[in-house]
Amino acid sequence: MPEGMHLQSEPLLQLENVAKSFGAIEALRSITFSIGRGEVVALLGDNGAGKSTLVKIISGGLQATSGRIVFDGHERQFASPAEAKAAGIETVYQDLSLCTNVDVVANFFMGREIVKRWFGIPILDEQAMFSATAKAIADAGTRIPSLRTNVEHLSGGQRQAIELNRFVHWGGKLVLLDEPFAALGVEQTRRGLQMIKAIAAQGISVVIVTHIMAQAFQVADRIVVLRQGTVVGDVASARTSPDDVVQMITGEALPGLAQKARA
Amino acid sequence: MTMTSLSQRSIANFVLDHLVWFMLVAVLIAFSIFIPKFAQIGIYANIIEQSTFVGVMAVGLAIIIISGHMDLSVESVAALSAMVTGILFCSHGIGLGFSTKPEWLVVPISLLLSLLVGGALGLLNGFFTVRLKMNAFIVTLASYIWVRGLVVALSGGRSAQDLSPSLRWLGIETILHVPLIAWIAILVFALFTFILVMTPFGRHITMIGGNPIATFRAGIKVDRLLIWAFVIAGAIAGLAGWLLAIRTSGATANLGTGMLFNAFAAVVIGGVSLKGGVGKLPGVYAGVLLLSSIHTAINLMGLPAHYTQVILGLLVLAAVLLDTVKHSIRQRFT
Repeated sequence: MPEGMHLQSEPLLQLENVAKSFGAIEALRSITFSIGRGEVVALLGDNGAGKSTLVKIISGGLQATSGRIVFDGHERQFASPAEAKAAGIETVYQDLSLCTNVDVVANFFMGREIVKRWFGIPILDEQAMFSATAKAIADAGTRIPSLRTNVEHLSGGQRQAIELNRFVHWGGKLVLLDEPFAALGVEQTRRGLQMIKAIAAQGISVVIVTHIMAQAFQVADRIVVLRQGTVVGDVASARTSPDDVVQMITGEALPGLAQKARA
Repeated sequence: MTMTSLSQRSIANFVLDHLVWFMLVAVLIAFSIFIPKFAQIGIYANIIEQSTFVGVMAVGLAIIIISGHMDLSVESVAALSAMVTGILFCSHGIGLGFSTKPEWLVVPISLLLSLLVGGALGLLNGFFTVRLKMNAFIVTLASYIWVRGLVVALSGGRSAQDLSPSLRWLGIETILHVPLIAWIAILVFALFTFILVMTPFGRHITMIGGNPIATFRAGIKVDRLLIWAFVIAGAIAGLAGWLLAIRTSGATANLGTGMLFNAFAAVVIGGVSLKGGVGKLPGVYAGVLLLSSIHTAINLMGLPAHYTQVILGLLVLAAVLLDTVKHSIRQRFT
């Protein structure tokens, strides 16, 4: 088999027995699952199941106590979000990824500013950054009234669009979305879900953490359920039902399911 | 219809963003008309000269507040650097009267020493605040107290007089009626305005003040930049002290007392938000000029100086109040 073929077929991210403890507390006991290229995986679980910890480990915010993480064919242990980001992994947290006190362009180029040099002094190249941002936003079909508006004046949906466009623009491979629609209205959520599908269609993998079952089923190819720091369910969303997933989350048989089983 | 509301909105925004300049112009016009002897070049030049020390201090303070932190130590740091300059290069009192060959070399040497003294104290503030994650307010309040104590201890309660003439001419020589040291203050404002607006460092400091978590996630070295901000604020305070020593031709143990509050008032009046991430240095300079104008007017009217303090306090209150109502005013025009 040619090597290229092999690379294509292997998953983008593979977690093997990843564990994390904070002192005596085991937040993650043993996590094993993988994410394919262009795949949308919904990460579900009750509060305290370990979703946030897992997302942080994948994106470099925390380091696993033990276990293996293979990303893009190489075993990795990201020491910081910057390292993970350089590899192509980024988390889009609700309102935590943008600086609302500066404009769209500044946010788009946050930490990656284009500079020109005057006598060796780095100077922001505002024009180059403006046109690059305008192009990326237009290509993605996002409408933002003015790229020079401070982000604080933009809606939640527009902010999310900026974050995702920024991610795609910078060659991201895996985006982690932590409760991305918690503060959004119905229409904005619908557009957000559409955007996730569009991103996945470009070959970018998406992990979405959510509490809302309907959203998980609407957008995800696969559903991974955590309970007490372990993976208790890993199923294609087409082959399961919300009831089954709730059962996996809580670890209890539902009365409804029990009745169905009797019938 | 949309055009008018849009232009109305941008006018409202413009006025709100530059309110301190409108206030300054209004106050200057009013004083010039109603206060006898106010409308002279000498008075205006004096206002600019008076703005030198508080102005320079306010630059460092503003940078720290924009980055989302606090630096109460600037006044004492300035006093220490003034005292160090005074002790080394004054010929009377506690001055040791060091001189250099050639004479002019005393300027860069004393300046460098002042910047180093200030920068070192800033580094200490930054280390405690950023690395040890202590509250900047408390850390710099402690510095404010112990550094002033050090100044008093160093001087033994006595003063240094008769600064080296090669330094003193900076405080005497004028360009367009304004002393060189005041021009240095204006230069400091221009330089740091440029750094904040045009360089990645300034952009990052502003963004850190807006959302430190986002900047950290974006791979910006937040801690390192914040420590640099403290070092810079300290060095700028050191520069303020150097200028003070030049202006007073020496140093006393209580030199610069009360300047922190003036600097603070200027920063707030100048439109820097205490929440961090918002503020422009030219506005801060306008704030300093506004305070100096009021000071000068009160002096000219022969009112007791205490009134300055009353007005200053009310102005600060008004500025903070304005900061909170700005948002709702903006929305009314949206």
